[in-house]
Amino acid sequence: MEIFGMSILELFPIVLFFISIFGLITANNVIKSIVYMIILNGGVITFWIAMGSRLGRIPPILETPYHLENYFYTFADPVPQALMITTIIIGFCVTAINIIMINTLHRKYKTTDWKSLTELANKETEGGYDHTLSDVVYEIQDKEAEA
Amino acid sequence: MDIVYILIFLCMASLSMIIFERRVYRIIIYTCIFSLLISLVYLALGSPDVAMAEAAIGAYAIIFFIVAAEKYYGKDARKATIGPTSKKNGAIGKIILAFIFVGGIAALFINFYPQIDANLYLRNQYLLRAGDDVGGQNVIGAILMGYRLYDTLFEALLLVIAVMAVGHLSWFSKDYIKSGKTSDVKRDRVAFYSIRIISPLILIFGIYLIMNGHISAGGGFQGGVAVACFFICRYMIHNIYDMPVNKVLKMEELIFVALAAVAIITVFIDTNSVVYQNFPEHLTTFQNIHLILANSLVGMKVACGFFVLFYRYITIERM
Repeated sequence: MEIFGMSILELFPIVLFFISIFGLITANNVIKSIVYMIILNGGVITFWIAMGSRLGRIPPILETPYHLENYFYTFADPVPQALMITTIIIGFCVTAINIIMINTLHRKYKTTDWKSLTELANKETEGGYDHTLSDVVYEIQDKEAEA
Repeated sequence: MDIVYILIFLCMASLSMIIFERRVYRIIIYTCIFSLLISLVYLALGSPDVAMAEAAIGAYAIIFFIVAAEKYYGKDARKATIGPTSKKNGAIGKIILAFIFVGGIAALFINFYPQIDANLYLRNQYLLRAGDDVGGQNVIGAILMGYRLYDTLFEALLLVIAVMAVGHLSWFSKDYIKSGKTSDVKRDRVAFYSIRIISPLILIFGIYLIMNGHISAGGGFQGGVAVACFFICRYMIHNIYDMPVNKVLKMEELIFVALAAVAIITVFIDTNSVVYQNFPEHLTTFQNIHLILANSLVGMKVACGFFVLFYRYITIERM
């Protein structure tokens, strides 16, 4: 099945990638941004997996030497698969840290809207003070200690 | 008709539902569905290991999302909506949008895949030599635990750093939860008893994935996430909030050091090594011991890391 001279398997990850980049730019809420990052990750992984399955789609698990002889040219490529497991774990780490960072910001500014978050953060840093996320955590901790 | 095309169609359907949905809870659930469907695409394309990792991680990330949504919107989380996609963009935003649009259309006509055959040297070498060099029958496991063990090591280090970052950023004055609070699952008897029946099976499945990682699909990461899912079930049915999170975090760091020590064993499992020259008949045993040890250490480390992440997030929700 082909569209524009490309098979759907080649087209699908590219469409995913561009849709998620479009969403990352236009999303006005934090949760949607993180969701689009997950989809972007999925697009990249699909691209590599689809590339590795061009010769064949048999999982590269060599049960017997007989199996290897018969199916050698129809095994999927094991190299991108091993790399993509790494990508999935790193993507998960990024998602977890993203959510906790946004949680810290929400604790201080009480909103998850990008525009109001940016305005509130800009108001605080007018004096040129470099405001890191750790500072926000310490600030909240100090306030809670006082109260 | 290939099954992959049907799965891709379903993926695109769930993606369009994510784009046009405004209710927060539904966005999160559609993301879970998308993750599951795309893992089926990987399975159909001949990569069961990646499919397992993606499905497990997609299911796990959903919990964090729901916790975050509960925290952001409080009691109204189930009805909360997020505003429409903003139409006003600055000049830079318009330029980038135009660039993306043009790039997306151009991408339809560019053939990203090379027309000539790719160089298959690395693939063939791994397929032919993995059994002799590293042992086991799963070539992906051989690459992760043998050829690229140091790569895996630093990936594990990244997970440790992520866990520490989450611990640091979620640390406030009410750092722990007092015991005595009950999970909401206990109200629903059907869910309560079904989780009780399923949870030991999940643990056995996770251990099976770790122990058989070198001869079949699976491995340390996938099995570790399954074992971590057992701890979620335990949280739901046993009413335990005061788990020793700090001890588990220390244990994770110790396991990481042990994994670095196991990486040194790889010197002795090669066909050029001292072991092979003196006892060639015992090489397979050494290889299997190394693979099982490395897989179990990675599995334990991932399970510990996910356990700590889950309990930090639950602490946030209950604060």
